[in-house]
Amino acid sequence: MSSANNDPTLPHSSSTSSLNTPPIENTPQTPLSPATMLEKYKGRKDSKKGNAPILKQPFFKITASNKFQVVIQFLRNQLNYKASDPLFLYVNSAFSPAPDEIVSNLHKCFSTDGHLIINYCTTAAWG
Amino acid sequence: MTAPQNPITRAIWDGTLPIKFSLDSTEAAALGAKAIVEPYFIEAPRCSYFPLWTSQIRKYFVDMALNFIGDDAEIWYDVDGTPLKWHYPIGLLYDLHTGYRPDSNSPPPLPWPVTVHFKNFPTDKLIKAQAIDATQDFFMSMIKEADFLRNGSTKKVMNLSKNDQTQLWDGLWSKNYDKFWSVNYRLVINDGQMPKHVPMRIYLPDNCPVIQEPISPIDENGNQLTLGDVLHQVLPELFPSPLPSENASAAPVPVIHGIIPQLEIPIVWASQNLCYPDNFLHIVVLLGI
Repeated sequence: MSSANNDPTLPHSSSTSSLNTPPIENTPQTPLSPATMLEKYKGRKDSKKGNAPILKQPFFKITASNKFQVVIQFLRNQLNYKASDPLFLYVNSAFSPAPDEIVSNLHKCFSTDGHLIINYCTTAAWG
Repeated sequence: MTAPQNPITRAIWDGTLPIKFSLDSTEAAALGAKAIVEPYFIEAPRCSYFPLWTSQIRKYFVDMALNFIGDDAEIWYDVDGTPLKWHYPIGLLYDLHTGYRPDSNSPPPLPWPVTVHFKNFPTDKLIKAQAIDATQDFFMSMIKEADFLRNGSTKKVMNLSKNDQTQLWDGLWSKNYDKFWSVNYRLVINDGQMPKHVPMRIYLPDNCPVIQEPISPIDENGNQLTLGDVLHQVLPELFPSPLPSENASAAPVPVIHGIIPQLEIPIVWASQNLCYPDNFLHIVVLLGI
């Protein structure tokens, strides 16, 4: 399924090496069209949101049928965070999806300009 | 404080299920149980969650000489080998896993037989909570997600006082209808505004992925959509018409809180009256008999 590469909403920065990290670039197993997503650091203005490091590039593609757990794990890998390190993920700085929610559902319901915006921090911020 | 009188939300709140908890037999032996351990029975509200019952269930089995010193979060439940998601309401799990059609001729599978496990938490199938109070976090997050669907932001939940927010969860675990609904009706009624989208999820048999879409409660002309309209829109193969099928028992049906609601009810009304405490309308679709 190559439609993701023709997706007009896909950011230009998507050619960095981190995109090749499995399991984000694995072959889609179901006929869902891949959603695009945006990992974005937004905690800079508010010290309450902890000192999570900033990603080198904030745009990623993920297979739509994946669970949100895959996003959490992917971000942990990107940040080099151990399973025991606290990390909180939010959609639209508003709520924390359960790890078993499906990325395509989140994208359909909560995306902005074709991107699902994920905010992350090391302490519960919008808890 | 008293909640506005609504016989429907009241009846749903009061709905309970008798459940029979048995110990996994091989596990029981490994945990030092010498004789056969009698099952434990509870009558749980459909709107409740399994972790709210775990300490009580644990106490019963430990008193029956089971040797277990682990954390409550290690205890899990299954039905016929399928692990039960602890962050789903009990009534939803029952409707989903028994697949029981309320219009069938056979009696419902009650008490519902559930197996308790104290070992081998299936981390590949269930979310492993860090602690038992994760249930509250997951619950509040669902309420925020519902608010975001209705209003495009979580302002209504965030504008609740800390006390009111706490009251939602306290009302749920203490089974206090007035405590919960006196706050929750403000969220559900949405200040009388038509919500942008209806917070709802649809569950199909055979482990199909859960369906959640942005469902508008009105059509392009401003007419209110019915439950049948929405099911027809999301699942046209299963619901070829927004109206009830003539061959009722062969057609798929939606089940909410163990009943088959009429397809003609407006989806907004359904959302306000038939939602679970997490503010979502959880609809289990069962196929024809």
